[in-house]
Amino acid sequence: MVSKGIRIEGLKKRYGSGDTAVDALKGVDMYVEPGEVVGLIGPSGSGKSTLLKCLGAVINPTAGRMTLGDEVIYDEGWKVPDLRALRRDKIGFVFQAPYLIPFLDVTDNVALLPMLAGVANGEARKRALDLLTALDVQQRARAMPSQLSGGEQQRVAIARGLVNRPPVILADEPTAPLDSERAMAVIRILNDMARKYETAIIVVTHDEKIIPTFKRIYHIRDGVTHEEVGEGRGFE
Amino acid sequence: MISLAGRDILHAWGKFVFTGFGLGLLIGVTLTMAGVYRGMVDDGKALLDNSGADMWVVQKDTLGPYAESSSLNGDLYRAILAMPGVASAVNVTYLTTQVRKGERDVRSMVVGIVPGGTGATPGWPPYLVAGRQITRGHYEAVADIATGFQLGDRLQIRRNQYTVVGLTRRMVSSSGDPMVFIPLKDAQEAQFLKDNDAIWQSRRRTEANPAFNRPGVPGLLDAIIASQSTNNYVNAVLVRLKAGAVPDEVASSIQRWKRLTVYTRAQMEEILIGKLIATSSKQIGMFLVILAIVSAAIVAFIIYTLTMDKIREIAVLKLIGTRNRTIAAMIMQQALALGLIGFAVGKITATFAAPLFPKYVLLQPQDSIAGFFAVLVICALASVIAIRMALKVDPAEAIGG
Amino acid sequence: MKNLPLQRRTLALIAVIVPLLGLLVYVALRSGPLAPVAVTEARVESRAIHPALFGVGTVEARYTYKIGPTFAGRVQRLDVHVGDRAKAGQVLGEMDPVDLDDRVRSQEAALKRAEAAIREASARHAYAQSQARRYEQLFAARSVSEEAVITKRQELAIAEAALAGVKEELVRARSDRDALVAQRSNLRLVAPVDGVVILRDADPGTTIVAGQSVVELIDPQSLWINVRFDQVSASGLAADLPATIVLRSRHGRSLKGRVLRVELMADAVTEETLAKVIFDEIPSPLPPLGELAEVTIDLPALAAAPVIPNAAVQRLGNQTGVWQITNGEPEFIPVTLGRSDLDGHVQVLDGLNDGERIVLYSEKALGAHSRIHVVERIPGVVP
Repeated sequence: MVSKGIRIEGLKKRYGSGDTAVDALKGVDMYVEPGEVVGLIGPSGSGKSTLLKCLGAVINPTAGRMTLGDEVIYDEGWKVPDLRALRRDKIGFVFQAPYLIPFLDVTDNVALLPMLAGVANGEARKRALDLLTALDVQQRARAMPSQLSGGEQQRVAIARGLVNRPPVILADEPTAPLDSERAMAVIRILNDMARKYETAIIVVTHDEKIIPTFKRIYHIRDGVTHEEVGEGRGFE
Repeated sequence: MISLAGRDILHAWGKFVFTGFGLGLLIGVTLTMAGVYRGMVDDGKALLDNSGADMWVVQKDTLGPYAESSSLNGDLYRAILAMPGVASAVNVTYLTTQVRKGERDVRSMVVGIVPGGTGATPGWPPYLVAGRQITRGHYEAVADIATGFQLGDRLQIRRNQYTVVGLTRRMVSSSGDPMVFIPLKDAQEAQFLKDNDAIWQSRRRTEANPAFNRPGVPGLLDAIIASQSTNNYVNAVLVRLKAGAVPDEVASSIQRWKRLTVYTRAQMEEILIGKLIATSSKQIGMFLVILAIVSAAIVAFIIYTLTMDKIREIAVLKLIGTRNRTIAAMIMQQALALGLIGFAVGKITATFAAPLFPKYVLLQPQDSIAGFFAVLVICALASVIAIRMALKVDPAEAIGG
Repeated sequence: MKNLPLQRRTLALIAVIVPLLGLLVYVALRSGPLAPVAVTEARVESRAIHPALFGVGTVEARYTYKIGPTFAGRVQRLDVHVGDRAKAGQVLGEMDPVDLDDRVRSQEAALKRAEAAIREASARHAYAQSQARRYEQLFAARSVSEEAVITKRQELAIAEAALAGVKEELVRARSDRDALVAQRSNLRLVAPVDGVVILRDADPGTTIVAGQSVVELIDPQSLWINVRFDQVSASGLAADLPATIVLRSRHGRSLKGRVLRVELMADAVTEETLAKVIFDEIPSPLPPLGELAEVTIDLPALAAAPVIPNAAVQRLGNQTGVWQITNGEPEFIPVTLGRSDLDGHVQVLDGLNDGERIVLYSEKALGAHSRIHVVERIPGVVP
């Protein structure tokens, strides 16, 4: 079963019930091809976070359908038995803040994910080091997170998001703490990784610096999305 | 898989070790408390063992020489010696008083022993750590090293001075006062004769009494004063039985015959430990319970704080797919590691602090083992609260609004 | 692919944990009930011990003379004070004679009167005698009647009887007077021997009864010490044994003496044997009577025999014996003990041989399965 690319149809999420119910998502349609990096833009309260949480399998949608490649993961109910395994193996996360584990060094922070999936320690660390090299932070491989700069930490976080080679990566404001040069570097890396590993990447952002780089952008407002063609500019 | 608990401990090792030491001191106090209780019971047993007696004959209807004062005539032992089953019957006196050396005085139990014996005689110290046993009938003493006296010291007990000729160890009364052994006659005098002022006043009173001070009977007054100044009372007779004699039978025959009260070894133990130590042991028992509760609370609090400090990382871990089991194990392992450090520190502190206590502290291996398992159980239970906290964390919180 | 900071930190933590564990194990094994018991050893030696007896006694005077009157009266004067020396026969004081002097005088007067009565009776007797003779002569010459002669004879008889009576009266008066004089002299308190006054029981003016002593005298050369020995440790006590005496007030100075006699009457209540010990040389100044003295009697040395310190003697069950270390484990050897001396050496009659090593001091009571290790000195004892 091929699990590449993500498709969402008619996703709805209602919080609460009866008179106090709030419909955060009122029927979202979205798709991302393998190797594609799309932007997701919307004001606060638009349902952005809710959508991410549904995609990240941390909350239960109310209705709709989600497909990963050929695999249906949600169709009016979860279709996979272990959501945690889903998150571990199929979905990568990159947050606004790096959220690195402070008591593990850089390599182990990244290698933790494959280890959790059962990969041997040596192999996991090797994979981690490869990614760190690709992201140009390998020289900090043995440092503790507190010793890294903000940008370096973010790159390590990205490496962590990528290390299990998940088919989908959800990036929530990954460039918010960075300057424009670094922000561009991050977007470039994401695009490289997406291309290299055929990963579908959704980037939630309102950073003006990187929006022009997206070829496709989804706007979300009041619980629904509109697709839009982006500028698709290169990365300088 | 790496050990998350181990990495966390390594990273924050200062905090852990510091907390472990603090917990360890608390555990050390708990172990020492248990040791104090055991020491008290051992004091009682040591007293009975070291007296070398199988039975104690005391004044009728009293609880024996240790728990209550008892007074017997000094020649009763001869009659007891003649009873069947009795191998030896020896007088003994006990007096708790201040023993002075120079400027310092020590509260001791002064034991009067019949001279002319060896460590094999009941009442005598069964083994020495230095010097020799008493050979002279007066003015020699054998002291326990807990008094702080050394060989050759001159002690003042009431009116006389004694030279320390031997030292013993673990010869203590049931309340932990160290013993000093002196010849029986000197001990009887110490128990009876007061200071010079009191003697002089008593003589004056006798002289002032016309019934005693008859001019027509010269010598009457002197005879009366002399009789008032002698004392042939002892506190107990220590009895050792012949091989094959049944203690209860011999005891009941002495009681029936001689109108005295007799206690066997088992009964004395019950009196000492059941009556004398009962209140103290209840107190210590309560202390132990309180300390255990406090320790549990502190461990729970510490683990909870440590977990709360990591709550964001725990959310991230859950989000990226760490099993609940793994997170729970990390917390539990940290709690157990804390417990282990605490126990080690506690046991070591207790062992080194025990000799410094004024009373005997006996740390028994079974107490340490029980304490070890108790610490582990308490740590495990205390970590449950933190584990519940951690498991309730919603991974969604890692994804900001 | 080891991460160095981690390894360094791990090493640092190991450097803390391992000594902690080591300490824990050490503490568990070397202290508390699992720890081995420290013991010291001694060797059985063959030597001749010098047993000695020790007793406490009081200084007393062998003879105490309590001098007082033979009947009730008042003390008139005392010429001596405590500490004065007196010669035999010296008058120490006197009781108040009250009316005795007057009675003696009256008795003397009666004596004189009796003498005068004798003179009178003698004169009458002489007269009656001469009268009777004359009348006899006259009767022989038939000048007077027989009745007259008889009357004169009777008068002579009467005069003889009167004279005899008066002579006896004189004797009686003299005896009475002598008795009063004797009483009078008894009122004098006289020292029977040379000595030192030790007590004045009554001062002049005090009324005392017969038998009460007024002055007490002792012969300072007759001081001895009345010593009590516990019967248990008094074997071998005999007269003429040498003794060392230490007076309580002169601690540190020992005086020489010997046993004078062992009393036949012991004290059954206190179970002590009594003996009298005299000084070879009376110490000067004189020790006060009643002062306590510690007396040590040296007995003749015994033949050489295996000897152990009495601290090594222990009990197991009903047996007396010592502990010996065989193959690192303690073993109880029953022994039979003999005499001992005052320094704590005890003869071993049976059970041990010369040169064997036995356990002397131990930290705890030993059992057959105690773990022991031999040390020079038990910890906690200052040399």
